[in-house]
Amino acid sequence: MLSKSSAVKFFLIGTSLSVLCFFLLSYDTLKQIPAQTNEQNLNSSAIRGKHIWENNNCMGCHTIFGEGAYYAPELTKVYERRSEAFLKIFLKDPQKFYPGKRKMVNYNFSDSEIGDIISFFKWIKDVDLNGFPLKPSIITSNTQSVSTSLSNIKNVDKPKIFEQLCMTCHTLNGQGGSIGPNLDNIGDIRDKNYLKQWLNDPYSLKKDSLMPKLPLTVENINELVDFLIQNKSGDK
Amino acid sequence: MKFQTQKIAYYFFAVSMLLLSLQIVYGFIMATAHAGYDVLHQIIPFNAARATHVNLLVVWLLSGFMGAAYYIIPEEVNKELIYPKLAYVQLIALVIVGVIAIAGFHVNWWEGRKFLEIPRTLDYFVVIDVLLFIFLIGGTILKGQRYTTTSLVLFFGLFFAALLYLPGMIDTDNQTLDSFWRWWVVHLWVEGVWELILGAILAFLLIKLTGVDREVLEKWLYVIIGLTFLAGILGTGHHYYFIGTPKYWLIVGAIFSAMEPLAFLGMTIYAFIMVSKGQRNHPNKIALLWTLGCSLNAFLGAGLLGFAHTLPLVNIHTHGTLITAMHGHLAFWGAYASIVLAIISYTLPIMTGKKIYNYSYSKYAFWLSNIGMIGMVIFFGIAGVLQVYMERRMGLDFFIVREELSFFFKLLICCALIFASGIYTYVYSFIKAGLPVSSLSSTDE
Repeated sequence: MLSKSSAVKFFLIGTSLSVLCFFLLSYDTLKQIPAQTNEQNLNSSAIRGKHIWENNNCMGCHTIFGEGAYYAPELTKVYERRSEAFLKIFLKDPQKFYPGKRKMVNYNFSDSEIGDIISFFKWIKDVDLNGFPLKPSIITSNTQSVSTSLSNIKNVDKPKIFEQLCMTCHTLNGQGGSIGPNLDNIGDIRDKNYLKQWLNDPYSLKKDSLMPKLPLTVENINELVDFLIQNKSGDK
Repeated sequence: MKFQTQKIAYYFFAVSMLLLSLQIVYGFIMATAHAGYDVLHQIIPFNAARATHVNLLVVWLLSGFMGAAYYIIPEEVNKELIYPKLAYVQLIALVIVGVIAIAGFHVNWWEGRKFLEIPRTLDYFVVIDVLLFIFLIGGTILKGQRYTTTSLVLFFGLFFAALLYLPGMIDTDNQTLDSFWRWWVVHLWVEGVWELILGAILAFLLIKLTGVDREVLEKWLYVIIGLTFLAGILGTGHHYYFIGTPKYWLIVGAIFSAMEPLAFLGMTIYAFIMVSKGQRNHPNKIALLWTLGCSLNAFLGAGLLGFAHTLPLVNIHTHGTLITAMHGHLAFWGAYASIVLAIISYTLPIMTGKKIYNYSYSKYAFWLSNIGMIGMVIFFGIAGVLQVYMERRMGLDFFIVREELSFFFKLLICCALIFASGIYTYVYSFIKAGLPVSSLSSTDE
């Protein structure tokens, strides 16, 4: 039967060996972190962004590197997923977006603070996370069928701004968000002038519009309207 | 109660009861927000509710551990506590720092680092307060008439808990480094030195409640804490999989954290065997119930549910989802909340002279809170698995997924109501017992 002194020995030897290994690995990790996180790209703006992230306890709702709370979206790859253009508009007044859904606190960030937060995300996305987060591996079947049936009637390519902003809320060809209406047949129900005026200022057509007025340039609006108008139902 | 100063524990336990009651309120705020009714958003946004919920937990557990130490140490070393007045100062300081921190969370004053939200300025006061506590306990042990394994394990658990608070105060501009140091505090606390505190309180309770020979109990205590450290220290690696640290942590973390359930299994078997071997028929069956509940739920929550998502192949899917909340709730409930409730159940009748273990509702408090907690954990689990599939595997839109999950949070709230009724019954029995009395007795009952 095990004696108390051998139990003590087991405890002391096991613990000291574990502590020793842990210190050695930690030492090596501290040496490797700068390269693995591209510390050379961590500029002063990104550092300020990190402190804004901390001082407002963003981790209290969001996750980054998968760490934080599970109430709001994971943000490690948000720079790629949502684009700089969207982040700029969104952070200015987060409550304008996603009507009727859960809300982000409006922190009244200044333009330079928003720039810092975006620099932080830009740095974060390139950190080598050993494969995290995985890309979604199950593709929903209707996504594919819809996009093939409609894709052959396009003349104008999808503008970049459409992917950066519009798809956050709207779905087209089975891709995009579920907040605003589906845009698959928008060409059937709206004409060019209506769309132009809508994109310029939704409130001018509908006082209680749920879509916010977005800071779009005339070129943006023109390319969006040319693209949107051709989305008519396939039977015609 | 053998020594006058042991009753200091009562006031620490009273603070624990108050903070626990408040913690549950904040839990409901978060659960209703998840269920789709974020009605308090303007006053208490989710991040404030979360920081408050988690920090109230940490503070009430620490207050419970400190109370346990003030009760156990004099009895173990056979000596009154040194400078008992300072112990009250230490409690009041702890409460003041806690209140300022919690109030600060509601006005956007914090350090947004998961579990370590207390702002840096207050961190220094926490350190000073804990040093005072360590001084009082350590000094009493040094002046004491005997050294026991239980008192030493308890002391070193508390001492290293204080020491390990420091890495969390290292300033860094790199998010990866930030996380790296943060886990030195959080992981090495809950899967390391806090288990010493748990083991020591558990050993003390088993010695008192079962009458099993101290030598046997303390021998196995060494084996269990040996296993804890063997697995737990390098098991820190399971937090270093996906935060920008080298790949070898995937292997190191997997192997060692997979061994962590062994320590908890050992603890469960140990508690149940000692109770079945015990000759003493202690009248305080409620304390025994909490002690056994603690060891079983610690194994299920920290051991089994922890193992369920600790391997990198699983964790790459579940990392940063509600699966973590599932594990976290049962682990903290089993390992730490239950042991504090067990030591309170054991000491309260001795300190106050009221035999609360004879009240029938003491039993309901145990069963309602445990059944409620198991139910909550089940719904966290279901929501977590669905989240992994819809959000991660299928890449569905965030809001679509969250609307699907809100239903399970409604069910979770139902279980939380059962849980809360159990806890508030417990708090009621604590209030019913009244204030501690000064009469000393040589027996343990």
